Formats: sequence, C-alpha cells, structure tokens
Amino acid sequence: MHDLSNLRTAVIEGDVAAAVSAARDALDDGVQPLDLISQGVGPAMAEVGKLFEEGECFVPELLMAARATKGIFQILRPLLAQTGAKPMAHVVLGTVQGDLHDIGKNLVAAMLEGGGFEVTDLGVDVPPEEFIAAVKKRPVQIVGLSALLTTTMPAMKTTIEAFRAAGIREQFKIMVGGAPVTKTYAESIGADGYGETAAASVDLARRLTGT
Amino acid sequence: MNDQQWNTLVSVVRGETLRPLPTAFIIDSPWLPNWAGHTILDYFTDERVFLDDNLKAIRTFPETIFLPGFWSEYGMCTEPSAFGSVSMWGEDEFPFAKKVLRSPAEVEHLEKPNPRKHGLLPFVIKRLQHLQPEIEKAGHKIRFAVARGPLNIASFLMGTPEFLEAIKTDPELMHRLLTIVTDFLVDWIAVQREAFPSIDGIFLLDDIVGFVSRRDCEKFAVPYLQRAFAADVSVKFFHNDAPCKASAPLLEAAGINLLNFGVQHTLSEMKSWTNNRIALMGNIPPRDVLAEGTPEDVKRSTTEILNALDDRSRLIVSCGGGMPPHAPTENIKALISTVEEVTR
Repeated sequence: MHDLSNLRTAVIEGDVAAAVSAARDALDDGVQPLDLISQGVGPAMAEVGKLFEEGECFVPELLMAARATKGIFQILRPLLAQTGAKPMAHVVLGTVQGDLHDIGKNLVAAMLEGGGFEVTDLGVDVPPEEFIAAVKKRPVQIVGLSALLTTTMPAMKTTIEAFRAAGIREQFKIMVGGAPVTKTYAESIGADGYGETAAASVDLARRLTGT
Repeated sequence: MNDQQWNTLVSVVRGETLRPLPTAFIIDSPWLPNWAGHTILDYFTDERVFLDDNLKAIRTFPETIFLPGFWSEYGMCTEPSAFGSVSMWGEDEFPFAKKVLRSPAEVEHLEKPNPRKHGLLPFVIKRLQHLQPEIEKAGHKIRFAVARGPLNIASFLMGTPEFLEAIKTDPELMHRLLTIVTDFLVDWIAVQREAFPSIDGIFLLDDIVGFVSRRDCEKFAVPYLQRAFAADVSVKFFHNDAPCKASAPLLEAAGINLLNFGVQHTLSEMKSWTNNRIALMGNIPPRDVLAEGTPEDVKRSTTEILNALDDRSRLIVSCGGGMPPHAPTENIKALISTVEEVTR
C-alpha cells in the first residue's frame, strides 16, 4: 500500500504544491481516489480541525490546509465521476438577509471545500427567495446560514420558514452559525445543526449527510 | 471621561489595587444608540443624538467609566473610508466597509491616505470639535485617540480570509500593506492628539491579532502595534476579544498597558500569560450573562469571577469585549453594584 503520510503532512502544513504532488504520486501508484480521501485527505483535515480546536493551529494555517485539500479535490473530482462514485455532497452557503458580514461564512466555505464538499456560496445579504432558487436549481444536501449580528439572526428563522412555506424544507439539512448564534437558538428555529467554529462545520456537515 | 475617572484608569494601569475595584465598559454604536432609543444611522449622522446618548449613559451609570468616552467613529468604516473603501449604511445596522484590494498584488498600488482630508476622518474630528464645549461643560474631556488596529484595517481592505491567507502566500506584500496602514495610523493618531491636547491615551481595536499564531503575531502584529502605540501617552489600551493565548505574552512588548479581551480566557489565565504586567479589563460573559441573563445571573457570574481571583491588582471589571447589543440597564447596574459589594 502506498504511504500517504507525505500527503497528510503536506495538507496539515498547508503546502499546496506538495499536497497536489503527493496526490498525483499516490494516484500514479494505483491508490484509488476514494482511498486517497478516506486515508489521506480526511484524516489530515480531521487533524487540522483538532489542532485548531486545541489552539495549536490558527486561521491562516486552517485556510492553507483547506487550500491544499481543494487542490487535491480538483484532481480527484473528474476521477471520482469516471468511477461512478457517489458525488460529493453539495452545500449552499450564504449570510442571511440584512447581514453583510462574510468572514465566518468564507471560513466555513473554505473548510467545507477542503473537506471535499462542493460549495455554492451565495454571498452576503441573501434573501430567502435566493436560497430557495439555489436549492431548486440543483440537488442540495445542506443549506448553511450565517449571521454575525443579533439584529440579523432572526433572518435565519425567516429563511427556514420560507423553505417550509415553499414545501422544500425536508429536502435538505440546515446548519447555522455565527458569533451570536447558539445551539439553543439553532434548535429553536428548526435548524438541524449548529457549527460553533469553521473547523467544527466539516464534522457537522459529515454527520448531517452521513458521509 | 472626567478627571477622577481618568485618574482611576491611570492608577490601575500603574499597578495599584483599588477598593472597590473600578468598572468600565467600551460603548459604541452596537449598544449605545439602541439602548438610548435611537437608530444606529441617527446616532452617526446627528451630533445632538450622539452627544445626548453618550451623556444619558454617563448619567445613568455615574459609578462606571465608559471607554474611550465620546467615541467619535463610524463603525468599521472609519479608517477604511480613508483608503477609498465604499461605506454601506442601513438605518439600524452596523455600517459595512467594502474591500478595496482584490488581490495581494494590488497592494503595490495602495497609497497612504491623508487623515486630515480623506474619507470620514475629518468628520470624526469635526464632530468632536463641535461638541467639545458641551462635553467639557459636562465635566468630561476627550482622553483617547482611537483607531482600528493595523491588522484589522488590512483585513477590511482585503477581506479577512484573503488577508490571513496572504500572510502565508505573499508575506512580503502583506508587510508592505501593514507598513502603509501603520504609517497612516501613526499620522491619524497624531492628528487626533493635535486636535485634542487633552488626549493622553491611545485605544486600538484589533481582533485579527487573535487569529494568528504566536510566530505570525511576532512577525505581522507586534512590530506594527509597537509603532502605532509609540506615542508618549499614559494609557495604551488594546481590545481583542478573539482568542488571546498566543498573543498575550507579546502585548507588553507591543507597548500595551491595558487590555480588554474576550470570554475564551479567564482573568487568571490572562494574568499569567501577561505576567501581570498589563492591566486587564474583563471578563463577565457579554452575551450569555450581561445581555441575556437576569440581574441575578449577572450578580452570580460577577461574584464567581471575582472570588476566583487571588490577585486583584491591575484589574478593571468589565465584560469580555465591548458592551453587547441589548444589554439592559438593570444588568449593567447589577454588575456595577456587585463589584462594589464584593471588592469594597
């Protein structure tokens, strides 16, 4: 079996070129794309998330690790499609209506992409109808709602209610996050999950999609 | 801030242990106008509303210190506006600064603004000058030059994830960006000090410092903070309510002597990490206790936090971070009275 430790180290260190090179070497050596994810990229990102939670790795390192992983997935996606493997879960993300902040959302997008999810980022100040249009356009497994302000947090509830009114709420899971958001609040508005940090959002998305 | 409050602040910074301990809060646009019954936009655009809201807070809570005191600003737009950032306004929303740099390479074309002429900065000065006679008639003085810190401004100009990624991918360009920003900050602080000779403090806010490792803090934060805080003033006050463990041991070298930090860390931890060389301002949970708790919750939390401390020197009791939106009068009063009771 090909040794994937170089790939894992490159991802953890955020070395994009080394990570992509290690992925190519592994594939050339016969490693299957799904094995490369489950034994290389996945454990590496889990380690990065753990180091982040422990305060041993910081936002720049997190972003660079996500960037390295994104580079690997650019190689893997076409190969996975050829093998007929189940497509990556698709996440639609946005900062809710009235809120222009994108720091947390962008970090979550980077982490999810690094974690192998396909992300459609709707940007900031996204009205409910734009979320609805996005999830009707193509299949979505998760919708992520972000808010930084206590004044805009209620727009998360409004958006979830709009999904219900459109009859599509049960077609996907909803995760929410942002500085003023709590687990209790997430539950009270009918979200399926609450991500306290960008790193935690990858685990949460995996749990929600069973991947 | 009146003379007595200023002297209290300076005493704590110099290492005295006061009985009872002083309380203080950073108040600005998220909390103040809404608490006083105004929208954020009215607060920013109407000098009378600005003055009245600040005086109302001071008169409602005469026992506490509000920092920086009559904070003339336009939220996150203040400094970025001088660099050409578009300011976006809502009636009762925080103003928002659109980024101006689309890639690290664009730093090559960034020019240092003139704080006397560019963006909203002349408005900041003029508002305070117009109100200065009434502020002084009420017994207060302008004590602080205030600005967002260098990393915070850089992150508004580029976007936070983009800036934090670029310190890894394009470190030289990010040093160039931080140099331009800091050169501007030094000028901006000098302009404020020149306009208000009563200024004897510098207050910088920079949460981005909390997002980087100790090594990156040494390289990308400390040298620039040192320059921004270099002026000869009594109080060098820094706010960072993002995680502080990595940066805390470096803050004294950056020139800081008063720190407001977040709820991630205890006062004891911060005292240890700063070697008790920096006065601390904290650390009651702002959202879960001060804004959303009951007065009894505030009393309980405040008592627990104070009783857990062996050493109460260099300490001002506050919330971890600025005054949170929607913090009610009765909770603030509960905090102040509890500190008086417990530390008398």
